[in-house]
Amino acid sequence: MHRRHFLGASLAAGFAALGLGGCGTARPLRFGIHPWIGYEPIYLAEEFGWLPSAVALEKGSSALDSMELLKSGGIDGAALTLDEAIRVHVAGTRLMVVGVTNVSVGADVLVVRQEIKNLDQLRGRRIGVEMSGVSGTLLLNLLNLAGIPRDEVTLVDLPMDEHVSAWRQGEVDAAACYEPTASVLQSLGGVRLFDSSQLPETIFDVLVVTRQFADLEPDAVRALLEGHFAGLRHLVRNPYDSVYRVATRQGISTAAVRSALASVMLPDLASNQRYLARNGRIERVARDLSEMLAREGMIPRALRVDRFCNSDFLPRSVA
Amino acid sequence: MKGWLLGYLAFAALSLAFPASVFAQGFQELRFGVYAYRPDSIIQERYQPLADYLSGRIGIPVKLQVLGQEEMSQALASNQLDFFLTNPSQFMVIRSERSLTGVLATLVRKHGEVATASLGGVIFTTPDRDDITGLADIQGTTIASPGRHFLGGFQAQALELKEAGVDVFRDNRIKLVRSHDRVLRAVLTGNAEVGFVRTGILEELIAREPTLADRIRILNRQNLVGFPYVVSTRLYPEWPVAALPHVTSDIVRRVASALFAIEEDYPAALSAGIAGFAPPADYQSVEYVARELRIEPYDQLPTLTWAELIRQYWAWLVAILILVLLLIGAMLWLGRKKRELATEQLRLRRLILSWPQPMLMLADGEFVDGNRAAVELLGFSVPKSLLGKDIAAFSPGLQPDGQVSRQKMQKLLSQVRQGEVAQVEWAFLRSDGSQIWVDMTLAPVHEKGDAQPYVLCSWYNITRRKEAEQRLRLAASVFDNAREAIFITDLRGLVIDVNDAYREITGRARADAIGRLPPLPLEEGIGVFSSARTAGFWSGEFVGKRRDGERFNMALTISGVRDEQGAISHFMGIFSDITRLKAQEKELRTMAHYDALTHLPNRVLFADRMSQVMAQARRQDDLLAVVYIDLDQFKPVNDAYGHKAGDELLVEVANRMRAELREEDTLARLGGDEFAALIVNISDPAVLENLLVRLLHAVSLPVPIAGGVVQVSASIGYTLYPQAQELDGDQLLRQADQAMYQAKQQGRNRYCGFAGAEA
Repeated sequence: MHRRHFLGASLAAGFAALGLGGCGTARPLRFGIHPWIGYEPIYLAEEFGWLPSAVALEKGSSALDSMELLKSGGIDGAALTLDEAIRVHVAGTRLMVVGVTNVSVGADVLVVRQEIKNLDQLRGRRIGVEMSGVSGTLLLNLLNLAGIPRDEVTLVDLPMDEHVSAWRQGEVDAAACYEPTASVLQSLGGVRLFDSSQLPETIFDVLVVTRQFADLEPDAVRALLEGHFAGLRHLVRNPYDSVYRVATRQGISTAAVRSALASVMLPDLASNQRYLARNGRIERVARDLSEMLAREGMIPRALRVDRFCNSDFLPRSVA
Repeated sequence: MKGWLLGYLAFAALSLAFPASVFAQGFQELRFGVYAYRPDSIIQERYQPLADYLSGRIGIPVKLQVLGQEEMSQALASNQLDFFLTNPSQFMVIRSERSLTGVLATLVRKHGEVATASLGGVIFTTPDRDDITGLADIQGTTIASPGRHFLGGFQAQALELKEAGVDVFRDNRIKLVRSHDRVLRAVLTGNAEVGFVRTGILEELIAREPTLADRIRILNRQNLVGFPYVVSTRLYPEWPVAALPHVTSDIVRRVASALFAIEEDYPAALSAGIAGFAPPADYQSVEYVARELRIEPYDQLPTLTWAELIRQYWAWLVAILILVLLLIGAMLWLGRKKRELATEQLRLRRLILSWPQPMLMLADGEFVDGNRAAVELLGFSVPKSLLGKDIAAFSPGLQPDGQVSRQKMQKLLSQVRQGEVAQVEWAFLRSDGSQIWVDMTLAPVHEKGDAQPYVLCSWYNITRRKEAEQRLRLAASVFDNAREAIFITDLRGLVIDVNDAYREITGRARADAIGRLPPLPLEEGIGVFSSARTAGFWSGEFVGKRRDGERFNMALTISGVRDEQGAISHFMGIFSDITRLKAQEKELRTMAHYDALTHLPNRVLFADRMSQVMAQARRQDDLLAVVYIDLDQFKPVNDAYGHKAGDELLVEVANRMRAELREEDTLARLGGDEFAALIVNISDPAVLENLLVRLLHAVSLPVPIAGGVVQVSASIGYTLYPQAQELDGDQLLRQADQAMYQAKQQGRNRYCGFAGAEA
């Protein structure tokens, strides 16, 4: 269960069939996307007609859809978390990170029972976590940071939608999760001990395209990024409009949208340039992350590419 | 409720304690302008509590001024206002005209229980207008709007329409009716087909008059969860409150804090229908709308002066200038090159056209081009006569080697198409029917893109050479086949070449003959060549010697062969074997001058000899005698023994007489039995008489003839020369004859001299 699933579950099915068969002479970029605050700029761009016909959105309900389609060749690119992108890449579909949509600054949380006061007290505890998701990344990083060896905690691999019941039944002492699960657990007496804001610039959501497509149709990739940054400008610069639209799409309140926005950092064009630079943050994080995932046996091998990201497709400026 | 009550009390207390002027550094009252987006009275009524609240909170009376757009502009221009609350578009205009301190706060409106700091535009029509269902249908309709500087009443809608492809400034008639209420009225009364109002207006009006909801229809309705109003456009931040620059920061701070302090349940908020004020919003999106629509303050595009342009883009301009100059230079250069090329081409064409050697171009075997020489060679006057025809058309049916012209040419052309250069001698038939020979060269000219190569065809007229060759062949044939021997020598007389007849006549092999002297008599050889050299030729007859030593007569002509300068370079000799001719000639000559029987000179030769010796005698003062001899009794012998015996007798007698005479003397038979003798150098008459006696004796001796022996005698008369008078030969002979007759008279077998001969 991937976290993005929660946010988009209600709308996903309706859009799933749309977005295929773009027009134009060149082959359109079939781009997998699912509801998540970081991907909202692309939805907004589509809503306002800022995506050219060279980009056809393939709307799924969760990252799983996009990952499966990427592996089967059904789409040419997708919005994913960095670890998801690494998984797909290592599984054989060679990818390239062409944009960073958001950096998690608190969206991913470790909620603990009240008696746990600090990270060190996690030793010997049972921690519920969806290891195949981004929470796994959070937890692994957290344990690293706290210097707790893996065998000193018991990791209970739980899909996100089972966290609440497991908590209630006392099966776990802590849960690595994200909104809205985190808020539910807090209302059940849980305490936010740690969140991704304490792991600066570590948990990324990115836009990836297959290397094959990028070689074939670089202009379509540029068009996607131009649309993303136009949507991002609207999202950030005119929240008086965008929060309502996001809330409408995700079926949540504007207040929830605002708090979701607060839990992510949406890097602008300049930040993207910085993140995607050669030996930039994404490159280093992706390498470290892939090594960690490989160490944990969650992926068969670490990344073995010269460059996992490419800033060449970013627009020169945002109109 | 307690809060504002306390505020009022505090205000009252302070007002009592200090005169107004003391408050806030000289502000006796603060003038708070509120834009009348609805009828003045409504705004006045709604916002007066807010003014009162502010008065209470900051301790200075706040005077509410509800103003229309122009009124507000005028009031601002004359600093009649200290704060104002207006729509974002209006704020943009004001901010562009005056330096404001920025937005203090943004209004948060409240509808029912829902608060929002966003506003948008509503587009509506009446329900009976079925034809207007989407944004695109609005094109061409009459639109009612409160004014252009209304964000929710005009600009928000205009932007949506623009993005939907409808330019309201161009495509629509817009009625600016100054307030939202009038927009509704205009649409309901049919004065306008479509109305633009800001969000919230309709809800307010419907609350007052619920039937209104059924009389209007919203267009492009946006589904925005959590937004309390119907809306047709995207949303923008609500109205800003701004302070003018002359207001001190202290007052600004106090007003701002008072505004932020407003709670939803304050009378000021309830009356105005607001939830309070939020921190200043980002009005960039409003600015964007105005820019997109080119509406004030962005209605004028900044004019770019040349100076600015040059200052900013001088590097580009210089680069472009250089490029343009380079381009012009390149074009001029290219133009010149092109002209040069054309001139060159013309020159080459003229050269080819007037080139004396015929040249033509063939395509697919047919002439496509040709120069003047080619046309003239074939006897035509214009090139058109040649074009489109093939070579065989100007050739005899058969070439001299026996091949059919057309087939031969096809073979050649296929050879040339494979890239070879063909050279061949070719016979052409000129237009006048005469035949000419050319040495023809065919060469492929490959041009890219040509399916078949062009063939360059050049002719070299070799007719004269051919004719010369024919003459030479003829001459060689004559040389070889002549019956006369022909030899050619160099200037020294050494043989260079000889023909077959030469070999036959001289019996010398060619190899033996060449390099040697021709068979000329040694003593004459040099003279022959020198006379041939001076006179051009020499001819003569002489005796040559064959290889085997046999002599032969030859008639030779030697001519000098002259070179181009007219100098003799060779000699050519022609001779024939005339040995047989010579023999015949000699025989004929003998027959004319000698007696066939006795081989003695006959009368003719005798006369000739006589005149010779007579002349000699005269010159040398010699004495000669002419003797006339007649045989006696010859006839009976002839009769008795026959003519044959007679002839034998005559021969024997003649031989005997001849034997008696000296070598220098001449004996001739004049005919029959008559002989004559010339006796020269008679030194003494006795010698003569002695001779005559011997003659008589010789004749009179018996002669054995067939069948017997006969004996005859002779009667001899003689005369002498010279005599006293000049005599000719005939006269002398006649004298001798007379003397002989006298001897006959005197009894035969004697001699008798002509009387009177001694002078």
